[in-house]
Amino acid sequence: MMFFKKTKRQARFAGGGLVLFQSVEEAIAAEKTLRAHGYEVKLVAPPPKLRKGCDLAVEINIVEKAGVERLLRQQDAHFLEILPLKGVGELLDIVKVVNFDNACMVKAGNMKLTFDINTGVILNISGGGCPDIPFLHLAMVDKKITEVARPKENGHTLCALMLDRAFVEAAEIFNKEEI
Amino acid sequence: MLLICGTIPQAGASLVMGEVSFDGSRLAVGNTEIPCTQGTAALASAACVVAKHCGSAAPHAVFAGDTGSGKGSRLLYDYLSNNLPQLSPDILLMHYILPVMGLMKQVCAAADKCGKKPVMMADASSMYAAKAAGLAGQFDIFTPDLSEMEFLADPDAIHPAYISRHLFRADIACADDLIAAAFRQKSMAKTVVIKGATDHVIQEGKVKFTLSEPDLPALEAIGGTGDTISGMIGAFVDAGLTHLDAAMKALKANRKAGQLVQAKPATKVREIIAAIPRALNHN
Repeated sequence: MMFFKKTKRQARFAGGGLVLFQSVEEAIAAEKTLRAHGYEVKLVAPPPKLRKGCDLAVEINIVEKAGVERLLRQQDAHFLEILPLKGVGELLDIVKVVNFDNACMVKAGNMKLTFDINTGVILNISGGGCPDIPFLHLAMVDKKITEVARPKENGHTLCALMLDRAFVEAAEIFNKEEI
Repeated sequence: MLLICGTIPQAGASLVMGEVSFDGSRLAVGNTEIPCTQGTAALASAACVVAKHCGSAAPHAVFAGDTGSGKGSRLLYDYLSNNLPQLSPDILLMHYILPVMGLMKQVCAAADKCGKKPVMMADASSMYAAKAAGLAGQFDIFTPDLSEMEFLADPDAIHPAYISRHLFRADIACADDLIAAAFRQKSMAKTVVIKGATDHVIQEGKVKFTLSEPDLPALEAIGGTGDTISGMIGAFVDAGLTHLDAAMKALKANRKAGQLVQAKPATKVREIIAAIPRALNHN
């Protein structure tokens, strides 16, 4: 049994997501890395139904999945999976497509990306609510879909991951139209 | 006082606060100019337009720079938790912010300490945080779109990215089922305004109003057209309208503005906002 001294704020923290690891050492190292980069996290024992690898996990704010995942990969920190504590374990991967005259809107979860089917220019991004979405909106709108970075490269949140899903589908549709 | 709180896409996690002004193209909080983009800036711009139309006081705002790291969001949560009782706004309208359940609980606790509890409104990720933290019942008005309504209807989802597939397959024809499910599990605010192909206003789980004309499918594609509705509702409530009347007027004005600019998928929200004064005079 391992004990960790927690501050009151850490003890209260409930982020709704877990990073799972193969070993206890990896979990402790990842917790330090995330904390050093300003993420609010805490070491926890994963519930039995989610347990994979070792019996220590890092609880994160699941909304920050995109940023956490990118940071851990950049730092070569090994982890098995990032999961929500409740509900379905996988991100929604279904997309819906709506066609307008000369434009196509791709919806993924709460995010919608609309592009010009002739030029590939991103006309609008709508939906979502996390703080990286207005930032990504400014960075992407009125630019060609083939010339902007994927949202998950610059976004931090689950809304950015949903926008990334819509972006990938939109790019695929545009590339097919071009052929 | 209508107090609008949210993040703006500026690097550097500092707070900007003060009276909001909007001259039809330039948005400012105090002396700080804010780019009028999709998100909280669009919401605040639309709120200013309605306040001017109604002859009521300009809204106030607390904005935090945040491009996704969450630092600005945390500053904003902390500011509200520490200062809401002194500010005691009539309406607290919370918008873009990193959803952090524990911090949203602190904001709600601070709102309870106001001399008179503000009308509590949440849109975008403030609504996600309120639902995920089990605080929906403490809010007076939510303004989801259909995908966010699916999130409210999912008992376990902590964010719309994790809703069940069968719910995402739903369309507006299933709105009644989503409303019933969300109401059953207490994920609804007292008034819920669903923005979509058919707009719905729900009170205590019952549909009080629907609107589907003029039919403008392109509005869904235009980033910020839901934000404008939320801002207008907040300002109409501040002007003294009932929550139902405020929602109905905002929904009508938004569609009318879209019709006036002949909204297309490439239309920008600033064009919609510029048409709201004319749209309000049509209502």
